[in-house]
Amino acid sequence: MSDHQSVDKTLPAQGQQTTTDFGYKQVDKSSKASMVAGVFDSVAAKYDVMNDVMSMGVHRLWKRYTVDCAAVRKGQHVLDLAGGTGDLAAKFSRRVGPTGSVTLADINLSMLKVGRDKLRDQGLIQNLEYVQADAEALPFADNTFDLVTMAFGLRNVTEKQNALNSIFRVLKPGGRLLVLEFSKPTLEPVSKIYDWYSFHVLPKMGELVANDSESYQYLAESIRMHPDQETLKEMFEKAGFENCDYQNLTSGIVALHRGYKF
Amino acid sequence: MPAMALLSGAIETLINQVLSFDPDSQQRLEKLNHACLSVFIEGVPNGITLHFADKVEVSIENDAFEALEQNLAAQHCCIKTQLAVLPELKETSQLTRLIQQKKLYLEGDINVAQQASALFKELDIDWEEQLAKYTGDVFAHQAFSTAHRLFDSLTEFATKGQRIAANAVVEEKELAAHKLAVLHFCDEVSDLRNDVERFEVRLAQLESHIS
Repeated sequence: MSDHQSVDKTLPAQGQQTTTDFGYKQVDKSSKASMVAGVFDSVAAKYDVMNDVMSMGVHRLWKRYTVDCAAVRKGQHVLDLAGGTGDLAAKFSRRVGPTGSVTLADINLSMLKVGRDKLRDQGLIQNLEYVQADAEALPFADNTFDLVTMAFGLRNVTEKQNALNSIFRVLKPGGRLLVLEFSKPTLEPVSKIYDWYSFHVLPKMGELVANDSESYQYLAESIRMHPDQETLKEMFEKAGFENCDYQNLTSGIVALHRGYKF
Repeated sequence: MPAMALLSGAIETLINQVLSFDPDSQQRLEKLNHACLSVFIEGVPNGITLHFADKVEVSIENDAFEALEQNLAAQHCCIKTQLAVLPELKETSQLTRLIQQKKLYLEGDINVAQQASALFKELDIDWEEQLAKYTGDVFAHQAFSTAHRLFDSLTEFATKGQRIAANAVVEEKELAAHKLAVLHFCDEVSDLRNDVERFEVRLAQLESHIS
């Protein structure tokens, strides 16, 4: 039986659901956040190392491309949601300058602490704020940010549509959302190699480097359960975003979605 | 894969690595604090922007020069030029001439362009010391002394070779004229041109006199 076949296909209709996916498992919605928190508590210390090992450094290019597409200008206010260890926030901090601001938000305190320490060690302090926040209920006023980015975070959110609605609320008119997330490979051979790598190599790497194979098994499963490119674009539009588009990176292993609030 | 992201990453790493070799560069970087310099090269589809902070961030510009110059913030300079002109930008005194010759289009804060130029022009890197960090002082000193001697020998060899070749071509094989002969010939041609011009003027005067 393939890994995909283990997914529970007998879900109740939308609106009656009390469960959600946690990798391939179905869990109670109220418990997903704490289970995801457990995963990231476990990997926080080795998160950056594992990202480099797993992606062979390519994640840095995906993130750089995202920052370039953001086209952030001096004095703008940026929210880096699920900002983890602050890779995007560091770049935004230098680009918006002292008249702008960057808010690094993450639901997970361990990740936030690692990110804060890393950025402070780089001497980045003057325009950075750190907020422990749930993407589904952002603790910011309406129309606050010029740009919201979320890199490799949306798939871990329990109710993704709620998160997109919440982001739409805090964006200023004219502001934009960029979501960088694993997606569905567009080429069949790439897809097969990627599946084999995800389910056979990735957990072993997790075991070897971070002494935690389960978290990386969850990572592989959560990627497969994440909406594909077109579905996520529709979710953007449902939240109210306009001029939505996406770009596949590395044959669709990762996609960068972009939407504007007008 | 976004190849431009790879390129901008490589440029950023290179710039910051080179700047880190010169301890005084940090002081010059501080003068540029949070300024931006966008550079567009004619024929290249995307420009790049250098963001000067505690280090230099490089980003790819998705907007064209014309679109970017409309929305320039303070301390942002935007230039468009040709690849061949880039080395000339090191001389800040040449900027006005290049703008007048339409080889350089500059919008925004010219101080940013001048300070950025100074940041790279005034780089003073002790490469021997950099190598010594990895190999030790003795090896680095030997390597650089050998390299200097080799360079001097090659320069001398090249100069001598050039002299011998010139002598063979001009004196022995007589394939080319001597430099002095060429100058003399040029002078004679110049004299002849002047004579002809004078003759033309005189002829014109005579024609007008007759008619």
